[in-house]
Amino acid sequence: MDLTVNSVARTVQSPPLASLLTVLREELDITSPKAGCESGSCGACTVLIDGEPRRSCLTAVCAVDGAEVTTVEGLGTPEDLSRVQQAFIHHYAAQCGFCTDGLVVAATAYVSAGGSADTAAISDALAGHYCRCTGYVKIIEAVAAVARGDEFDIAATASSANNTYVTIAGAGS
Amino acid sequence: MKVVGARLPRYDGVGHVTGRTTYVDDVRMPGMLHAAALRSPHHHARITGLDVSAAEAMTGVHAVITHADVPLLVYGHLSGAGIPGDEPLLAKDHVRYRGQPVALVAADTVEAARAACAAIEVGYEELPALFDVRLAFEDDAPVVNDTFGNWYNQYEGNLDVRQIRKGDTEAAFDAADLVVSGVYRTQSQEQAPLETQVCVAVPEPDGRLTVHTCTQAMYFSLGVVCSHLQMPMSEIKMVGGTVGGGFGGKVDTASDSLTALAAQKSGRPVKWRWTREEEMLASGNRGPWHMEIIDAVSRDGWILGRKMLTIHDAGAYGRFSVYGLTKHSFHHTGAYSIPNLHFDGYVVFTNRIPTTAMRGYGVTGLSTAIELHAERVARELGMDPYEFRLKNANRVNDTSPNRIAYEDPSTVEVLQSLASATGAELSDELRTMTRDQRTGDMLPEHLTAQVGSGGGH
Repeated sequence: MDLTVNSVARTVQSPPLASLLTVLREELDITSPKAGCESGSCGACTVLIDGEPRRSCLTAVCAVDGAEVTTVEGLGTPEDLSRVQQAFIHHYAAQCGFCTDGLVVAATAYVSAGGSADTAAISDALAGHYCRCTGYVKIIEAVAAVARGDEFDIAATASSANNTYVTIAGAGS
Repeated sequence: MKVVGARLPRYDGVGHVTGRTTYVDDVRMPGMLHAAALRSPHHHARITGLDVSAAEAMTGVHAVITHADVPLLVYGHLSGAGIPGDEPLLAKDHVRYRGQPVALVAADTVEAARAACAAIEVGYEELPALFDVRLAFEDDAPVVNDTFGNWYNQYEGNLDVRQIRKGDTEAAFDAADLVVSGVYRTQSQEQAPLETQVCVAVPEPDGRLTVHTCTQAMYFSLGVVCSHLQMPMSEIKMVGGTVGGGFGGKVDTASDSLTALAAQKSGRPVKWRWTREEEMLASGNRGPWHMEIIDAVSRDGWILGRKMLTIHDAGAYGRFSVYGLTKHSFHHTGAYSIPNLHFDGYVVFTNRIPTTAMRGYGVTGLSTAIELHAERVARELGMDPYEFRLKNANRVNDTSPNRIAYEDPSTVEVLQSLASATGAELSDELRTMTRDQRTGDMLPEHLTAQVGSGGGH
């Protein structure tokens, strides 16, 4: 089977009924889709299939032969974050991070389709995703900020790539 | 104060949003095997036979671990604190809860490991199971825990009960205008992190082990693994800190010791990732609490004394339950000042998953009970619940059940904020109340003995 994964053509050797999740993680070593439940409940394995968010754990790889698959690795890099990725950092929408990749993928599909900043609409679009840390509020704020066209202060937020805390000038004394 | 109030980026934020963060399940090693567990299908049974020879002979199987492979089989999570161990790493003579691990198989694929588990022959003789803590004290109750019996019995002074005695409870009840009692029971609850229990253990050429762990308690887990394997800490390197959610459920060392043993026996790296079903079935959860509260109350709204009985469902083994109950006992007056106390608490064993920490271990269910009871008392008095709570709210230098003088109790401000947020009307006296040490009307006779002692800690 031939897939395009994150804009790269890949030929897959796994059995046709292997889940796309297993193929991505175990054959192609793309580890951002997570095996949270492997039964279609949690949303942590969500990827884009021809632009639509889908659960890779419930998708047999033969069903996506010839399709274009995008995981969060294909949306942006630490040096060139997508707006949704910037928003998730800026709004502290990622906590333990295990659900984040699936949520970033789903949120990207939502805003790409012209989704609004309406919180009810965002909640509806992300209803298939569990997050046990944040309580969802910050996630919804992040997606709404992207939909509104907010600018994100990436100098303050992305400078953490070197794993050090930064001190914000003028904050307290 | 360069941090409080500042917008600090998460140091791991970029990794989290770009798929770069490496969780334990994302660790890849050359030649890595995959593990699966054979778990008890019964709540309570005697093991009459265990034969792994067919499983060991299967293609792709590299190690089968049973109780005979564990250097220190029985260990307790609080052994370091002097509480005897009661839990075998793998079941030997008995299974005491459904889902208890009996064997672990490491094979080329997880499918091969599961097939080998199915080929292990275990003989079980089912025994009556105990699920209701209230029945644990009956003479004919099934015996759950062969170290302690049906409830933990080795508190200080050889007591089988965690007790708090403070003041003169009988006098308080004699003086009461009203006695209000209530029974409150909370259910068990799974922490349900999105990342299930997972471990990757790697045997190093020099005989050491590297263990990639999802633990919430790194050095604690290091001690547990070293104890089970009887290896010095210098020979086991634990790698962790990236946890896909824990919420208390990854304080217990659930998968590390067994994965390490499988790596040792097979000589290969081994990954053991639990399924969601296993996570729900067999990982430690928040335990149920049975709480009975009886308060002696005066007509003008003071809680003069409290008698309380707590029965904590520990599940089949102790783990951290004695700690949880002790913390519970220290908090059994909650946000309120009650000078005369008579508390008895039991850690009871049942044929359920061993219970463990979850966000406010021992206190969360208790707070529910205390607040429901406060509401009940206020209603029976015909008193405004805010007035009742604020009168009895902890103040500076009031003392806790374990005789610590509060330095900064926040109950008054919390209640005032709550009233403000919900539009509840408070009298001027209640609205301007502070946490400061009791004086005047707020220092009734029954509270004088415990107030103003100044830092009893």
